[in-house]
Amino acid sequence: MDKLTRRGFLGLAGAAGVATGLAACAGTGSTATGTASGAAAGGGSSKVIWWSNHPGNSKEAEQKIIAAFQLANPGITVDLQDGGKNYEELAQKFNGALAGNAAQLPDVIVASDVTWFNFALNKQLAAVDDLMAAAGLKTDDYVDALYSDYLFNGKHYALPFARSTPLFYYNAEMWKNAGLEDRGPKTWQEFKEWAPKLQATIGSDKIPIILADGTNYLDWYFQNMAWNFGGAFSKEWTPTASDPKTIEAGKFLQELVAMKVVKFSKTPEADFQAGIAACMLQSTGALGGTTKNSKFAFKTAFLPGDGNCPTGGAGVAIPAGISEDRKKSAIKFVEFLTNTANTVLFTQATGYMPVRKSALDDAGEKAFLDKNPNSKVAVEQLAKTRSQDNARVLVQGGGARIGKSLDQVAAGQDVASVFAALDKETQGVIDAQIKPKL
Amino acid sequence: MSTHAQVGPSDRHRSPLMTTAGYAAMAFVVLIIAVPLLWIVVTSFKERQDIYVRPAQWIPNPATTDNYSTVVTTIPFPAYFRNSLIITAALSTAKIVLGVLSAYALSLLRFPGRSIVFLIVISALMVPNQITVISNYALVSQLGWRNTYQGIVIPLAGVAFGTFLMRNQFLSLPTEIIEAARLDGAGPMKLLWRVVMPMSWPTLVAFSLITVVNEWNEYLWPFLMSDNEATAPLQVGLTILQNNEGGTNWGPVMAGTVLTVLPILILFLMLQRQMIKGLTAGAVKG
Repeated sequence: MDKLTRRGFLGLAGAAGVATGLAACAGTGSTATGTASGAAAGGGSSKVIWWSNHPGNSKEAEQKIIAAFQLANPGITVDLQDGGKNYEELAQKFNGALAGNAAQLPDVIVASDVTWFNFALNKQLAAVDDLMAAAGLKTDDYVDALYSDYLFNGKHYALPFARSTPLFYYNAEMWKNAGLEDRGPKTWQEFKEWAPKLQATIGSDKIPIILADGTNYLDWYFQNMAWNFGGAFSKEWTPTASDPKTIEAGKFLQELVAMKVVKFSKTPEADFQAGIAACMLQSTGALGGTTKNSKFAFKTAFLPGDGNCPTGGAGVAIPAGISEDRKKSAIKFVEFLTNTANTVLFTQATGYMPVRKSALDDAGEKAFLDKNPNSKVAVEQLAKTRSQDNARVLVQGGGARIGKSLDQVAAGQDVASVFAALDKETQGVIDAQIKPKL
Repeated sequence: MSTHAQVGPSDRHRSPLMTTAGYAAMAFVVLIIAVPLLWIVVTSFKERQDIYVRPAQWIPNPATTDNYSTVVTTIPFPAYFRNSLIITAALSTAKIVLGVLSAYALSLLRFPGRSIVFLIVISALMVPNQITVISNYALVSQLGWRNTYQGIVIPLAGVAFGTFLMRNQFLSLPTEIIEAARLDGAGPMKLLWRVVMPMSWPTLVAFSLITVVNEWNEYLWPFLMSDNEATAPLQVGLTILQNNEGGTNWGPVMAGTVLTVLPILILFLMLQRQMIKGLTAGAVKG
């Protein structure tokens, strides 16, 4: 091809400059039109656009609730739109929408425990306290631990919706064969004593416990282990992964690996359901699917430890950029979506937690729980939950960062140095992105 | 071919050991590629409890077509399918036409600033499209093109890759033929259609195939641009079958995958024959 001449290079540089300028215009232009055109197009107060990833295959349940809402509020229609296959995709899509025209923002989005905060921090979500108060609705019936997860600077930025916790699933028959009591381990130390007994009876081609790997929320489950040993990923905005107690938990995980009683997998539920793992930690949201997929009877139990169960899952949030009229309709719908009757409906369809205190007094829910002891365990564990560490859920990229470190620990790297490096990274993000905005 | 055989007689009398090794290697490669595909097909006919079992079930027992009816009933499959066809057809046509015309201009026509234009096009090839997503989004959103076909198609229709590929192909053609055609009085379009294109079929077909497969599998941009089945393609629709937080029912997902792959597979088989025809047709005549 022709040589790259000086003139050619200058032309190229100029063209690149123009292109960059255009891109910048596109970005800034949108903000201007966004504020100007307001609610002209898009949702509008009579139409609520809801982006959901249908947690727990819940599209059908969501549609039922929407139908009931439209019946009760004839002036408002709700448009349920697919926001992606998981929380991260939905957050990505919402991020894209924020760059566009405000009139085209959705009215309601599903926001997970790790995705909501960054939006709230950048003032992209509306505070629900004010909206609820203005609409004359109360928030005190929400389960406190779940509602307070969305607290930031004195305001809440989402309402709990598809909330889950990890749950201890075990294969009852393998438990029996190993001569273990029919219950989950009280502490992780107790599980360590049990593991060899399990291994001896299930055979060497099966594994006593299967856990998700670092890219599939091991960081979520490991919080329980860290808390069991008195450690944590962080205290408020101070990272504490290099605290001796957290390191002890990391070493404990390594001991289990050394004993060859634990395996890590992208889809632990697959191995558990295939009957090649005696137990697993998995979200309560997987309860419905696991029940349908398994050929054998399994049981559930509280996580090891007391009061050591992290909360998780998703809430519903309202973008700050939409007009006040649209917000009014949106809050009305969101409250309806999470009211007592609907949280009961949604819970039973998926295995997620009831987010209202009054849901537990509901006669239908009581009957359901009596018939489904596994769900009952999950609901009872709710009283023993604890809000997650900031380093995982509030610091940008926290889950992935901790997951990567845990993968390194599981691969046998020195726990103290891995966790020290993790703390340093976490601190860096906090200093750069969060401290200035607090 | 025949001249090749004369050069190395050992080629004709390869030792049986080498032949066996060759076949073994071939079988191994085929196995690596085919087994996961076979697994997808097998799984799509299984009942839910039979998917995660050990030992693995290689023949669905009992076999069921429920997964396929689930796919068609739980998601508006025909609508997604239609969108995929429209988007892929429009995008591929735009890309192929633009690619061929721009490559032709940049390789065989002379005009001032040609190399600068080429450099700009090539530099566009270096920018990963994830980077332009946000600014494209802002632009398309301002135009009010979200949830429209043009909103999905136009931003994706840039073709640096095609330009690059086809330009190199055109440059590799013997200059004598081009000169001869020009001397015979062929204009630019006639030169393209009668001389250049017939000699470039194999490359064009390969390029078209890559383009069609790519567009069919396009995910990120259509996902951001479309909110429902009015414009979303199949790849976006399939994600609805998946479940987060564990417990995806893989049967319908696999069934959906099989249905999604089929049209591309058929097209591939058809075009592959064309590709070979193009290779053997022989370009230089008279």
